Amino acid sequence: MIDILDGNACAAWGARRAKAQCVPVFPITPTTEIIETIAAWKAKGDFKGEFVVLDSEHSAASACLGASMTGARTFTATSSQGLLLMHEMLPIISGCRTPMVLTTVSRCLSAPIGLWPDHNDTLAMRDAGWIMLICETNQEVFDSVVMGYKISENPKILLPVIVNMDGFVHSYTRTEVDVPDQKMVDKFLPHPELEVRLDVKKPMTLGIPAMGLDYMRYRAQLHRAMLDSFDVIDKVQKEWAKLTGRKYEFLDEYKTKDAKAVIVMIGANSTIARSAVDAMRKKGKKVGLLRIRLFRPFPEKQLRKALEKINNIAVIDQNICPGMGGILYPEVKMALSGCKNVICNYIQGLGGNFVSEKDYVDILDDVMKAKADDRKWQM
Amino acid sequence: MADVDFNIKEEMKKPHLITGGTFACAGCNPVLGIRLTLIALGKNVIMVNASGCMTLTATWPFTPYRIPWVHGAIENGGSVAAGILMGLKALKKDKGTHVVVYAGDGATYDIGLQALSGMVHRKEKIIYICYNNCQFANTGHQASSATELYSRTTTTPPPIGNPLPRKNMAKMMAMGGAEYCATACTSFPFDFIKKLRKAAKVEGSVFIDLLSPCEPGWLVKPSETLKAGKLMVESGMWPLYEIEKKKITINHKPKMIPVREALKIQGRFKHLTEEQIVDIQERVIKEWEMITKGRFWEAEEY
Repeated sequence: MIDILDGNACAAWGARRAKAQCVPVFPITPTTEIIETIAAWKAKGDFKGEFVVLDSEHSAASACLGASMTGARTFTATSSQGLLLMHEMLPIISGCRTPMVLTTVSRCLSAPIGLWPDHNDTLAMRDAGWIMLICETNQEVFDSVVMGYKISENPKILLPVIVNMDGFVHSYTRTEVDVPDQKMVDKFLPHPELEVRLDVKKPMTLGIPAMGLDYMRYRAQLHRAMLDSFDVIDKVQKEWAKLTGRKYEFLDEYKTKDAKAVIVMIGANSTIARSAVDAMRKKGKKVGLLRIRLFRPFPEKQLRKALEKINNIAVIDQNICPGMGGILYPEVKMALSGCKNVICNYIQGLGGNFVSEKDYVDILDDVMKAKADDRKWQM
Repeated sequence: MADVDFNIKEEMKKPHLITGGTFACAGCNPVLGIRLTLIALGKNVIMVNASGCMTLTATWPFTPYRIPWVHGAIENGGSVAAGILMGLKALKKDKGTHVVVYAGDGATYDIGLQALSGMVHRKEKIIYICYNNCQFANTGHQASSATELYSRTTTTPPPIGNPLPRKNMAKMMAMGGAEYCATACTSFPFDFIKKLRKAAKVEGSVFIDLLSPCEPGWLVKPSETLKAGKLMVESGMWPLYEIEKKKITINHKPKMIPVREALKIQGRFKHLTEEQIVDIQERVIKEWEMITKGRFWEAEEY
């Protein structure tokens, strides 16, 4: 079915097509519409899963842990401060190896309190042990939620998945989206029974303390599963492409093959950067864009391969780690360690500060002139 | 408690659903509380633990549990349980299974109050048991809002001790939407079992505040923890009652022995002055009078 949907509706449709069985939630702007959409479906009988509004995001994440541990397919969504309130539960959910999908609708952090997007909320979860997919389009949000369950529930992986979109830019902007029919999704997404679960017929003790070396072994296993998930994600993306024709990679490369300068970034603004690349290409400038779609596990090797021959690289960070700089920048630098590229960092768009095509043209012009690494703010 | 369908000899023949050999202290009453809970409710229990002493009963690679058991974090016993109930409902496995939260007083009265309040407000069919040892025992005996007036803890040291009377959680939860609330004490096991069996039939939220003496926290001998609990009840410091539809029933008429008798075997009250003992005594008598004269909802905790 082709429809005109905003990002929030896409996330809700993702949960519906995946037949999420438990949806514990707590409202926050700009996520709320996801919750309202599912609530309305539930009231009409179109959504069969359990839907409960809890007392906080912390409680919603806690309920996700409990629900997922019974073996029920679980979904929730949040933003900004809500995600930070959930944060305590995120390493617990991944540490217990409970599969689920959480949609994060990026919104800047308080204070000062703001409504518009940047990525400080979601990127703060980078060490939580969750697979993180960061989307550029509404279609990608829907597709990633559905694919997310297939990755998450793989018995070799059993890791929770974050599917990120930008507040407002995605969440409240309608675009053309294809929502595949239920039969097709059902076939793509069977629901494997969890081996480790809470069941009175098969008692298990879960979430228990482990000390010293035992603790370290658990963490090593979590890391191992994260690294193993590369192959699974790749396979799932290929399977989805066969069914829908929509091809996703860890890295979304746009006109990078012969490029002299490339923008590296994440999120919705990539669409604007893409048009800046087109505009500059028309003028004969060899520029490109690399959007990182899979942020955790971090596709270090693929990134190095894609960028090692690019002379000038502009890493755009729509976030700020105060006292250090952009969050993406050191990760890209690490992937390219020992290479001879000039890599500059540009901080922009904090709190949803407007960014235009011209801003990316300026950045590309600037980075092409750069002789050494540099760190700048665009504001 | 002749009306409890309970034969101790028969119960001892059944396999223990929590085995011996946990990491708990000698004379630990919270562990006894788990034992009694599982005797009362049987094996169709999923138990949620909030971080605290009882988290350490299972430590990799050992577990004493023959029921499904999960530890999440400290402040969310009510919410993890709510999630489990959602999952069981979605999978149509909720009939006949009891979701039980077993959380300490710090995790209940303080940091977990919001999650618990949400749980009872939504009338979730969950049995929430607070094993109340009147302090954050696992972190080394700090005061919680369940700590008695003038009690010594590491954050309320002598000479004064705790300057605040405790909260009444059973009352708060009864007003907040719980169908069935009760106080209990591990020293009165039949009373506790009877309440749990009643709780098992309740369609809605259950809150039971289980006074559970703590050997290192109360500074009593391991062999005297049950006696300490008994004296708390018999002195009127921990009245045993249940609340159904805002109606209170006294389950055990205390002998109202002087509080001095209950206080003197507990090292945590050793520093008390004569004035403090008299103050506690007066408050306990006043509270008991109000409860028995139909003014329970107005009565303040001692």
